[in-house]
Amino acid sequence: MSDPAAVEFDHVSKTFGNRKVLDDVSFKISEGEALCIMGRSGTGKSTSLRMMIGLLKPDSGRVRIGSEDIVHSSEEDLSRVRRHMGFLFQSAALLDSFTLGDNLALPLRRLDKSKSPSEIKRAVDETLERVGLDLDIAKMPSELSGGMRKRAGLARALVLHPKLLLVDEPSSGLDRITASEIDDLLLKVKKEYCATLVIVTHDVRGARKVGDRIAVLDQGRLIGLGTATELDKSDQEIVRRLVSES
Amino acid sequence: MGRFFTFVGVVSSFGLKALVDAFRPPIEWEFFLFQIEEIGWRSLPLILAAGFALGVVLSMHTRVTLLQFGAEALIPSLQSAAFFNELGPLITALLVAGRVGAGIGAGIANMRVTEQIDAIESLSIDSFKLLVVTRIVACILILPMLTLFMDFASLAGGFLAESFASHISLQLYVDRAFKTLEWANFIPPTLKTSVFGFIIGTVSGYFGYTTDEGSAGVQRAATNSVVLSSLLIILADVVLVKAIFFLFPRNAI
Repeated sequence: MSDPAAVEFDHVSKTFGNRKVLDDVSFKISEGEALCIMGRSGTGKSTSLRMMIGLLKPDSGRVRIGSEDIVHSSEEDLSRVRRHMGFLFQSAALLDSFTLGDNLALPLRRLDKSKSPSEIKRAVDETLERVGLDLDIAKMPSELSGGMRKRAGLARALVLHPKLLLVDEPSSGLDRITASEIDDLLLKVKKEYCATLVIVTHDVRGARKVGDRIAVLDQGRLIGLGTATELDKSDQEIVRRLVSES
Repeated sequence: MGRFFTFVGVVSSFGLKALVDAFRPPIEWEFFLFQIEEIGWRSLPLILAAGFALGVVLSMHTRVTLLQFGAEALIPSLQSAAFFNELGPLITALLVAGRVGAGIGAGIANMRVTEQIDAIESLSIDSFKLLVVTRIVACILILPMLTLFMDFASLAGGFLAESFASHISLQLYVDRAFKTLEWANFIPPTLKTSVFGFIIGTVSGYFGYTTDEGSAGVQRAATNSVVLSSLLIILADVVLVKAIFFLFPRNAI
């Protein structure tokens, strides 16, 4: 029997009010793969990401992380699964009453009781150094620029060495150079952590650079899934337009 | 009216869940102590200033009336009875509802709309315990202490006003203030503020934690927290005073 996929959507549907955001979506992501999810605004990309970490539940269908069906799992099981996941939010979502260092130390203190304070400090320092923010450890989130905040959010998502990293709009609100730096960081993370990446993005360049495959959602349906080269030859115009660099 | 009672029911179950969760490990000591500082220590200047000023004002008002009956010697005991029995607990709770309730409601709502609560959940940390339970427990424990500060600050204000008016000594003022005061006048009214603290923490936490309307939701959470906490405190006070009179009949005399 083959290993389970890192992430599996099995006939997932979700409706908000009268609007069907996801309509019978199915796909699998292999371990170590980077999948970029693209599509027009409001087509269920971020909703899919939130379902992968259990912040939202589908109306029907299953979401599996490894072999765990997180739709029907208990809070304890979901919490256990989440320990191996990292989430970079679109706004970075740093806790604004904590310093950058404390933002990173929080999950370590809470989830890894075996670590001493000095080990936690070392882990925080190492992770911040990895994203180039080691000199900003004592800063509050309000003192950071947009790009720094994204990198800080990424550092917090990485501090527990996740096997699955979920990234929501890494380049939104950033200039092209900073966005490219974030893409480079994601590539580095994929290589060094051997992590599976799921990235929701509108940035075609970033998606083609980081993603092994690209999934295209439109009106809640999965209308394209493959490598960028494969999708360039899609018979659906919207897929070709969404993944086209020009 | 039906909506009000439905709201009270929903908020009560929210608060009871928080009380149950407060005893479920892990105990969030670090966040709890942070809230004690935020809610207690940072409210202290307001409580002391308000208590002192109210003590001065009450003393001046009662002096005018009691002087007509030659009963100005009763001013200290009237002052202590008024503050320890009712004014101290109620005014402290209303002031804290204004300062802390708005802060809790807006603070948690802001965390909700900026995805900070989702971020906490994504880190396998129970956001309800971390953000709501710690604040409710801190409110429950801190209100009686702040009430004591309010009571004694009001006596200090009353003494100052009296000493200017009649040159009364501190020792005589204190003797008269506590002569008629019994433990039953002091402990139950002070402890009832724990209920007020529960109301402030629960109502504010509920509005903050359940908001989903962006920045407008933050504003609404802050306003609703103060308005409904204050209203429920006054309504609860009626019930609690009746309960205290029932349990300690001498207080009712």
